[in-house]
Amino acid sequence: MNGHERKRFATAAVLSCVAVAMLGLSLWSPTLYRLFCQATGFEGTLRTTNVPPPSGTTATEVLVRFDANVNSALPWRFHPLQREVRLRLGEEALIHYTAVNLSDKPITGMATFNVVPEKAAPYFSKLECFCFTEQTLLPGQEVSMPVVFYVDPGLAEDPTTRDVGTITLSYTFYRSENQPTPTASAAPPSSSTAGAGG
Amino acid sequence: MAHGAAVAHGEHEHHPTGWKRWVYSTNHKDIGTMYIVLSMIAALVGGLMSWAIRLELAEPGIQFIHDTHFYNVLVTAHGFIMVFFVVMPAMIGGFGNWFVPLMIGAPDMAFPRMNNISFWLTAAGFILLMLSAVVGEGPGTGWTVYPPLSSIAFHPGPSVDFGILALHVAGAGSILGAINFIVTIFNMRAPGMTMHRMPLFVWSILVTAFLLLLALPVLAGALTMLLTDRNFGTHFYEVAGGGDPLLWQHLFWFFGHPEVYIIILPAFGIISQIVSTFAKKPVFGYLGMAYAMVSIGVVGFVVWAHHMFMTGIGVNARAYFTVATLIIAVPTGIKIFSWLATMWGGSIEFKAPMLYAMGFIWLFVMGGVTGVVLANGGIDTAFHDTYYVVAHFHYVMAIAAIFAMFGAWYYWIGKMTGRQYPEGLARVQFWVFFIGVNVLFFPQHFLGLAGMPRRIPDYPDVYAGWNFVSSIGAAITMAGTLLFYYVVFHTLASGRKAASNPWGEGATTLEWTVPSPAPFHTHEEMPVIAGGGHGHSHGHGMPRPAE
Repeated sequence: MNGHERKRFATAAVLSCVAVAMLGLSLWSPTLYRLFCQATGFEGTLRTTNVPPPSGTTATEVLVRFDANVNSALPWRFHPLQREVRLRLGEEALIHYTAVNLSDKPITGMATFNVVPEKAAPYFSKLECFCFTEQTLLPGQEVSMPVVFYVDPGLAEDPTTRDVGTITLSYTFYRSENQPTPTASAAPPSSSTAGAGG
Repeated sequence: MAHGAAVAHGEHEHHPTGWKRWVYSTNHKDIGTMYIVLSMIAALVGGLMSWAIRLELAEPGIQFIHDTHFYNVLVTAHGFIMVFFVVMPAMIGGFGNWFVPLMIGAPDMAFPRMNNISFWLTAAGFILLMLSAVVGEGPGTGWTVYPPLSSIAFHPGPSVDFGILALHVAGAGSILGAINFIVTIFNMRAPGMTMHRMPLFVWSILVTAFLLLLALPVLAGALTMLLTDRNFGTHFYEVAGGGDPLLWQHLFWFFGHPEVYIIILPAFGIISQIVSTFAKKPVFGYLGMAYAMVSIGVVGFVVWAHHMFMTGIGVNARAYFTVATLIIAVPTGIKIFSWLATMWGGSIEFKAPMLYAMGFIWLFVMGGVTGVVLANGGIDTAFHDTYYVVAHFHYVMAIAAIFAMFGAWYYWIGKMTGRQYPEGLARVQFWVFFIGVNVLFFPQHFLGLAGMPRRIPDYPDVYAGWNFVSSIGAAITMAGTLLFYYVVFHTLASGRKAASNPWGEGATTLEWTVPSPAPFHTHEEMPVIAGGGHGHSHGHGMPRPAE
């Protein structure tokens, strides 16, 4: 290998690394995308936080509505117990959804969620919720699912979200790919209230 | 010229013949020829599909294509074939392979065997794509392959998987080809051929190769995730599993927008060579032209979401992507005005390549103007997925690229085959084709403004008039295309002998210093490019062969 050939192979090696790096980035992008959405509230992605609401509430009130959807492949009934709550910014609220398995088989479901308008998402903080966690319901079993949340007072200070008076929190339950095996149906049901999830 | 002699290996003396010459080829000219032949075959297939589409759309109601899914398959295959197997092979693999080594004074590409595998991967990709249309239900996804339409729920057969593998294979070929071009251009230029003296066609291939290198792996990654979603139960794009179909759109358009520049940048290079040759002047603003292409390439990576204005992205994101997209008009404007300034005061010869170059400028400006309109997030809300978009992208990249390919073919065919095309017939072919494509695509602006949606084989009677005109244009375009294939046949069968330089004083690049047809091996003794003066004042440095 003479000097010129070595130079060519060196250039080609660098370029190959660039191509492999771009491939790696694209395969890593689902994680990056999720982190980006969580960090910015992009696409109405909610924040799940352990940080309690800042002390003191403001006089400004916001109306929070609750929406529930079930994918047609999941034979469940799913609805919020409260249609809406009115609360002051910074005030902590507890509401419940309820889900019933209408079939005669144990079924595992999984919920996704977002808020509308999307720009309000960075200020909508959930302290406890059922999201992206699998729930298995036995035939006819009904569970109550709590959501604890608050709306950050920053909502009223951000010029792009000052006009937001109503926020809708929407959940959709899908049939999970991981269904309980027939033998697993004998296993004890999960607690009557779903655990906190991420 | 010590290292010039070192490159001319003894093994290069061997001239393979018969099928081995082509299948085992490591010669940049033979591989370039194979790419051009592949492109000409694929163009007939993709063209026939578009004429079938126009035939169906000539009148309201369903005439010929009763299976509407098959209509979607035609639209999808037409897009894929034209982008990946007509324009890219001809411009980059074909003319790029032929003329980049000739123009920079290199004896061949840096990695001749890799060049061979690049071609055969592309050919294999074409065969896989053809198979995808005949296995299962056929891919009716559009070339954008958006999930959930492309997911296993809506395309249960193996057709989309074949399409994914076709793009994987062709993409791998293109990435290897891009590495080959960059290494060749960086390391194998003749003495005196500095970066700032390279012909603009070489610059255009260099920028294109970088775009390929950065964009295609992202497509490969996105396609791999789609493949595992479809076949192995992952949920990258499925909401039910915590995934997001919008992730596909972001990844696809991060590749897809640079991809349209991959198609049009080599055309910029070709047009610069032709305009300079036939105006008999160096290109006006050489450095500006080169760096305009670089900046188009860079900005092309940060505008992708203007394809996604309707997906619910926030107003701030739409504002950014609108402005970033509008900025692209600046470097493209530099190119347009520099071509006009090159022609200004030149003694222009209106031979077929020049007619095609000027036709290209017209088409590109037309499509560019509608592009500036569509770049606005607010206006796109009304025009999204209408025929206005179809007219825009056919003008600005599809037909414009085809014009550059025709221009390049007429410009270089004497060098490639040793036979010159028939000038009179070529001019007739230009005018038939030019009138055809404008009658075909201009009325589609009106259809789009009136709200006619794309990708649907039927439409209300109110759109009948301009659709009929458009289909007449398609028939004229078809006549122009068939005439081109006749010109090809005529040239090969009975074209008159081409001189080394058939274009005279305006043709100053190195390929015109070798005989026509270019011998199997060229530049085995590296030419020396005369020094003195700056690249930008010469356009491209006046070459003086070392011999």
